[in-house]
Amino acid sequence: MSSFPSERTSALLALSNDLAATVEQAGQCVVAVKARSRISSSGVHWRKDIVVAADETIRRSEDITVTLSDGRTVSVTLAGRDPSTDIAVLKLPDLDLPVAQLGEATSLKVGHLVLAVGRSDEGSLNASLGTVSALGSAWHSSYGGLIDQFVRLDLTLYPNIEGGPLVDAAGQVVGIAVSGPRRTVLAIPTATVNRVVNQLLEKGRIARGYLGLGMQPVRLPERLKQTLNLPSLGGVIVVNVEPNGPAEQAGVTIGDVIVALDNTPVSDTRDVQAMLSPDRVGKTISVRMIRGGTVVELDMTVGERPRWEE
Amino acid sequence: MNIQAAPTRQTDLAAEFAAIAELLCRCTVQIKSDRTGFGSGIIWHPDGLVITNAHVASRPDATVKLWDGRVFEAAVTARDSVRDLAALTLKATDLPAATIGDSSVLRVGELVLAVGNPLGLVGALTTGIISRLGFVETPKRQEWVMADVRLSPGNSGGPLADAQGRVIGVNSMIVGGLALAVPSHAVKRFLLISGAEAV
Repeated sequence: MSSFPSERTSALLALSNDLAATVEQAGQCVVAVKARSRISSSGVHWRKDIVVAADETIRRSEDITVTLSDGRTVSVTLAGRDPSTDIAVLKLPDLDLPVAQLGEATSLKVGHLVLAVGRSDEGSLNASLGTVSALGSAWHSSYGGLIDQFVRLDLTLYPNIEGGPLVDAAGQVVGIAVSGPRRTVLAIPTATVNRVVNQLLEKGRIARGYLGLGMQPVRLPERLKQTLNLPSLGGVIVVNVEPNGPAEQAGVTIGDVIVALDNTPVSDTRDVQAMLSPDRVGKTISVRMIRGGTVVELDMTVGERPRWEE
Repeated sequence: MNIQAAPTRQTDLAAEFAAIAELLCRCTVQIKSDRTGFGSGIIWHPDGLVITNAHVASRPDATVKLWDGRVFEAAVTARDSVRDLAALTLKATDLPAATIGDSSVLRVGELVLAVGNPLGLVGALTTGIISRLGFVETPKRQEWVMADVRLSPGNSGGPLADAQGRVIGVNSMIVGGLALAVPSHAVKRFLLISGAEAV
């Protein structure tokens, strides 16, 4: 290689230039978010004057600033946050800024090249290149939040990029890049972000279903399963009943073993969590449980989980 | 990213990677200066000028091993421990020198390649992109090319190159998984100030 190839002849150089152009173009909607003590994180100008960031990186509810693509640093207000999907919504003052070009994470395939784009607190762009390493269907986070699609990334998520957009090869924002359990890197897909942003802007919070119960998983004896014609050996035993909570009002007492909610078998507290999505709040749910060796059915109105004082 | 168009181009990605890797390996040397193991270096000039990190060339002299197996005794002719650069000269001519790129015109997202001798492995190639450009307190406020590329301790002093194989930095340290390289324009300034290039 005595003479260097031009972009016309070099696929490598063309790819390199495309990557740099994609970072620059997508980077226009990326802001640095200063809401924790040491390293800043990133956020996406998702729609007019609305910035989406990773909730985990928002460590204070006041005195939050963002640094924009033009270098300006402005104060923002925390419009709402949802730890269960790791999404926080920040409200910008009225500014004329480009918004993200949103794509759908459903278009991703394992092996696709993706970029996570961030901005450092002094205003310069940051990027990390990787691939989509695994895809899956909708899942519930450990806090019970519904994530529409499982997207795992083979990509290094540097701390100041966390919360920044995941950008596909076409330059579209398909989600936000966050750190998952056990040092994994995940994307919260566009569909989830849109849904949570809408709910947060409408109500300022995500309503979570609430029963007012403390439970533990238990295994049931084989004979009981046969006698009562139960679908599985598992259930959750009630170990605490919140006074005046939905469960107490419905007549649940300590020692009851819940085996199904709305005819869906439950054998773990996670199964119960999964039945308490925001749309269930205020609705009636049928509870099948074992009390004193017999099956008891009762109806319960799902309440809304009390908000933690901030 | 117009990746769909790639197959119609005249060269393919894998062949280009291999060609650049070979080019880079030829201009990368192994340096042994003390008992702490091997570092890497870059042949900066065909007449025997080698650039490495100051922390690799920690003593006044060093042993330099070329890609073709030749071994030279080299003298450290300039050193800047703050910028972590050292210049070595060895008595040789017509060495396969690196082509030096302009690190002042880099863009975040550009592809980069690193070659070095990590953990005793000779001529190991890693690839990634430029993750960030600018100044960092390390602990003095200095300019760096920061790359999203996997490096190991033996990469110190070795080249970071662009998609055309031009050396744009000297790999120096790893901070939080990010590779920090001294920009090639800072190396040129170091050579100018120290006068090492005239040796």
